[in-house]
Amino acid sequence: MSRSDIRIAGTGGQGVITAGRILAEAAIRCGHQATHSQVYGPQSRGGASRSDVVISTGDIGFPLTDRLDLLIALSGEAYLRYLADLADDGRLIVDTGCVPGDGGDPENYPIVDTAREVSGGLLATGVVALGVLRAATGIVEAEALRETVAAKVPPRHRRMNLEALDAGMSLVGVNAL
Amino acid sequence: MAETRLIQGNEACALGAIAAGCRFFGGYPITPSSGIAEQMVRLLPGVGGVFIQMEDEIASLAAVIGASLGGSKAMTATSGPGFSLMQEHIGFAAMAEVPCVIVNVMRGGPSTGLPTSPSQGDVMQARWGTHGDHPAVVLAPSSVGEVHELTVRAFNLAERFRTPVILTYDEVVGHTRESVILPDRVDVVDRPRPDEDPGSFLPKRVTPDGVPPMAAFGDGYRFHVTGLAHDERGFPTQDNAVAGALLTRLHNKIDDHLDEVADVEEYMLDDADVVLFAYGIVGRSAHEAVRRARDRGVRAGLFRPRTLWPFPSGRLAEVTAGVDRVIVAEMNLGQMISEVAGAAAATTEVVGHLRADGKPITPSELLETVLAQGGDRP
Repeated sequence: MSRSDIRIAGTGGQGVITAGRILAEAAIRCGHQATHSQVYGPQSRGGASRSDVVISTGDIGFPLTDRLDLLIALSGEAYLRYLADLADDGRLIVDTGCVPGDGGDPENYPIVDTAREVSGGLLATGVVALGVLRAATGIVEAEALRETVAAKVPPRHRRMNLEALDAGMSLVGVNAL
Repeated sequence: MAETRLIQGNEACALGAIAAGCRFFGGYPITPSSGIAEQMVRLLPGVGGVFIQMEDEIASLAAVIGASLGGSKAMTATSGPGFSLMQEHIGFAAMAEVPCVIVNVMRGGPSTGLPTSPSQGDVMQARWGTHGDHPAVVLAPSSVGEVHELTVRAFNLAERFRTPVILTYDEVVGHTRESVILPDRVDVVDRPRPDEDPGSFLPKRVTPDGVPPMAAFGDGYRFHVTGLAHDERGFPTQDNAVAGALLTRLHNKIDDHLDEVADVEEYMLDDADVVLFAYGIVGRSAHEAVRRARDRGVRAGLFRPRTLWPFPSGRLAEVTAGVDRVIVAEMNLGQMISEVAGAAAATTEVVGHLRADGKPITPSELLETVLAQGGDRP
């Protein structure tokens, strides 16, 4: 059985919660087990926001994330707050805008800027991040992600979100897998 | 075949209730239980049921008791502060023998505490919160799928024994979404109904199994309902022998059928030197900790009651006989641990892994405790 503990973290308004739910549902479409949890409280009303997803090929014991196999940080605050939760062999992906100035060279992509280009705002940031996640890790199939995005976002935003997903996948080079 | 769905524990609770035949919900919103009410208000009208938001939790359970006396399967859902307010009527339902289901989604306490954080601080309140010598049936699911299963079971036990049943789980189980396949159909139990002539009906008639047949208001049977000690006719009495017999029967109707109520998950206990006792969400951390401990050669096992009350003393005593240590892991500062210590043999050491800061107990931290307690300790 293989299990992946994933966190997508950023700020309120980036669509981080929706992105987590989409990821979990896409994993189910791929025949996996999945859980999704979020933090309820002041963080969800502006400030930091996060979505935790566990994906497994077998039954999931503890449903919350433990040590993270993958952390996608979409804000500097999220990066600083959650870096400590990353497993020793965990993978870190950050938005280019929040690469720390103190050295360190985490894998980074211009996720927030891409979301702005596609949607004119921040709301599609989480979906762009899903595109990056798909292309960088292969953990879910692209078609399952597309179907889930199409099913979960409001019809009037469907095309834009599918564009955001494709734009996210395009950010990652073909050799990244 | 039923499809795999990604739903929250609170949604599974509402779906289980509807499947069990619940047709009335009376409640007052409170985090982290509000998702149950949110689903019930959507689901009940479609099945001819009634949803009512009452002015507070005291009135909520009163409405539920009234609905049940009217013949409906009825429930309410709340969290710590609201659960405190419901205690008076839980006792009334126990005394008047009114089947109903009370869901308590535990959050940090006391008082308003930590509204959005998990806790297991209400498990003694679930047993002893209402006053007097009352029986208590309390179920503790650990996953979204189990919430569905045990909600159905809660209704069935309430109907079977004419008693309030408390279903309690924590914020994590309530809010986390998990992939589940819910059953297409479930087995449903209905309360015993009278078949005698209305003229000779005794609403609290003593039957061989201790559960009197129950008429609904409107069925044509006349009856009186009271929280006072009462006789077979349902009217108050000060007769000590009658009052004593009533109280004994209220207990015996459960205690004489423990095999129907008891429900424990046992994992890797056969050769265990160290046994983890855990329930609800912590049971899943413990299951994982046992698995990892076994990988490291430590003979650990898990005892996870899905029925918390009545407490499975007999079974726990059996499986811990000869066991060196029992670790009780719970998200409070020590509640069930005293029950475990009471049931375990004098030679078994009972230690706690207790946490009450609003964070769930993780498999990793529990594994550390198991390794520290379960290895070749001098």
